[in-house]
Amino acid sequence: MSFLDNSGDIILDAVLTDAGRERLARGDGSFKIVKFALGDDEINYGNFDSTDLRGSAFYDLEILQTPVLEAFTNNTSNLKSKLITITRTNILYLPIMVFNGSTSTDGGTQLTPAGSAIGGNIIPVAADSATMRNPDSGTASGVRLDAYGGYNAATSDSSNLVLDQGLDTTAISPETNIPEDLYESQYQLQMDNRLISLATPDGTTVATPSFVDDDSIASYSVSSATYVADITATGADGSPIKGPRGSRLRFGLRSSLDVQSSTYLFTTLGSEVSDGTNTYYYIDTTVRVVGLTTGNSVDLPVRLFKYKA
Amino acid sequence: MATTFKTLVLDKDVANTRTMLHEAIPLTGTIVSGTYADENIKNYAHGMFQSVYDYPYLSSSANHIFDLTVGYSATSALSGAASIQNAKKINIYNQMAQVLVGYDETGAIREFDQDGNLAAGGTKLKECVFVNFSRLLTKDEVKKGSFIMTALTGGTPSAPTDALTIQDHGASSTYLTNSPAGEYAPLYTSSATPNTGSAVGLLYYQAGIAVLTASVYDGAFGAPAATYDTSSIDAVLTGSEISSSCDGIRNRWQDCDFNNTTELNSTIYFCRASSNEFNYSSNPTYLSGSKIRVKNESTDSPSSYITTIGLYSEDNELLAVAKISEPLKKDPTNELTLRVRLDY
Repeated sequence: MSFLDNSGDIILDAVLTDAGRERLARGDGSFKIVKFALGDDEINYGNFDSTDLRGSAFYDLEILQTPVLEAFTNNTSNLKSKLITITRTNILYLPIMVFNGSTSTDGGTQLTPAGSAIGGNIIPVAADSATMRNPDSGTASGVRLDAYGGYNAATSDSSNLVLDQGLDTTAISPETNIPEDLYESQYQLQMDNRLISLATPDGTTVATPSFVDDDSIASYSVSSATYVADITATGADGSPIKGPRGSRLRFGLRSSLDVQSSTYLFTTLGSEVSDGTNTYYYIDTTVRVVGLTTGNSVDLPVRLFKYKA
Repeated sequence: MATTFKTLVLDKDVANTRTMLHEAIPLTGTIVSGTYADENIKNYAHGMFQSVYDYPYLSSSANHIFDLTVGYSATSALSGAASIQNAKKINIYNQMAQVLVGYDETGAIREFDQDGNLAAGGTKLKECVFVNFSRLLTKDEVKKGSFIMTALTGGTPSAPTDALTIQDHGASSTYLTNSPAGEYAPLYTSSATPNTGSAVGLLYYQAGIAVLTASVYDGAFGAPAATYDTSSIDAVLTGSEISSSCDGIRNRWQDCDFNNTTELNSTIYFCRASSNEFNYSSNPTYLSGSKIRVKNESTDSPSSYITTIGLYSEDNELLAVAKISEPLKKDPTNELTLRVRLDY
């Protein structure tokens, strides 16, 4: 996409997204615009320089000169960061979401360490039992690949994935309650429906997506106590959030039948990697979690593994 | 409660409009014959018509701009077994007539009428040239009163002369509606003589088809260096194939201009950001840790910078997106109404 001409009057470049066109073509009345959101995807607020000696009029000069790209028609490529309405103007801190890999939260699934042979800073998910368990080890729990068991979460292989929300600052005590208007009670999760689905934290039930778009991205909205709960621990342990804690999102993943029983998607979309002992197929994907109250989002890098040899 | 979506109020924030958009379309004679040495002209094995492109048609950059063909009525004096492609020329005439003029009370195909007054009988256009403009050019319809065509009607095929200008004089206010293909108007050679009996053709606005009587070409006719009888258009119509007549028309095409019309049905969404709305951002760079970068003290005003407007369905699926050419600052001291128009 090219940049929009910003040399003269302000212009507005509007397009239907692919999902919009698809709904329009369906002709069943599902193309109905009922709300809007504003975004600032191109803006790097790191360019806000409040130390500029020329005065406050120059603090945001670089931001205002940011060139803006033409609109993408891919519905999942736009509005990655939305503007938020909070009527109070005296807020100095906003909540963020942090992946919580601590075993003390009953999460257990952690990012791989940087430099890991199977890939650093990713969430490893085993597509099938043979990837995670070694049948030659002589024990049912013999580990082949230390990963999240995405194939049959009803077994003890299953842990879950945990995200904590709150104000990540030491300037406010974690004993303080997070303001009510910044508390996330509902989340949206987006993931590639060809590869994985959302499951309950105990892994027993696969959730039904709100919709699956034309790019096979499934969106799930969760707000029930099954997935969302308060962070009760206020001490330093149990949550990476340093300040007031909000809600905790806990969920599971289920690998699709296609990746459980076939290597087609791995050889088409992925590659191979060895941990020194075994070779695995893998596919990289992302699980995007969006807080529907504050619009705050985090992309979890997931690597789906399948044992090859 | 923090929110990222704002609901549009149907009777306040959403408006529907219809706009007629016009574009000027120039079709110069150098494109029609000359510039591309006829590499932009496509003839077909069936020989029923000839297509004209704006660039050599084998190129993917070429756009189809119009088709040319000729035909005559079965009752024309030119019709006869000795005429070359006689049946095809009659078929073309009948096809165009049944689409553009329709049928009489007995179900017979009507002939093209000079003044469009079918009930009164009058002069019929029995030998016709058809110019079928591409929808790419005419869009929804040709703008009434904008059509002007200049044909060279005299001289020789290698040196055509006598430019004759044909226009739909007065059609912006007076046009005919008794065609099954929509509205149409007679084409005249002068604004001084737009009356019954002086029309030399008909222009069908929604169909995007100009029908000219072959008699406008009253001298020698045909392409330069033609091997067929070029003494008159009647000689070409009887003694040559349809493509030869089309070559002759292109050779005498000096210019053609009209305005097209696109009917734009628009929905305008007024996205209103009040003073206390959309002043914070979920942009990952908005925070350092959890601290807002654009504020040093809690008493400082928050601000954000708008680059994108998303229009959503009830289930939060992004249906349309609009981008602003430069970031707009939003803070509690201002209110913005962003007008997003979707055209259908």
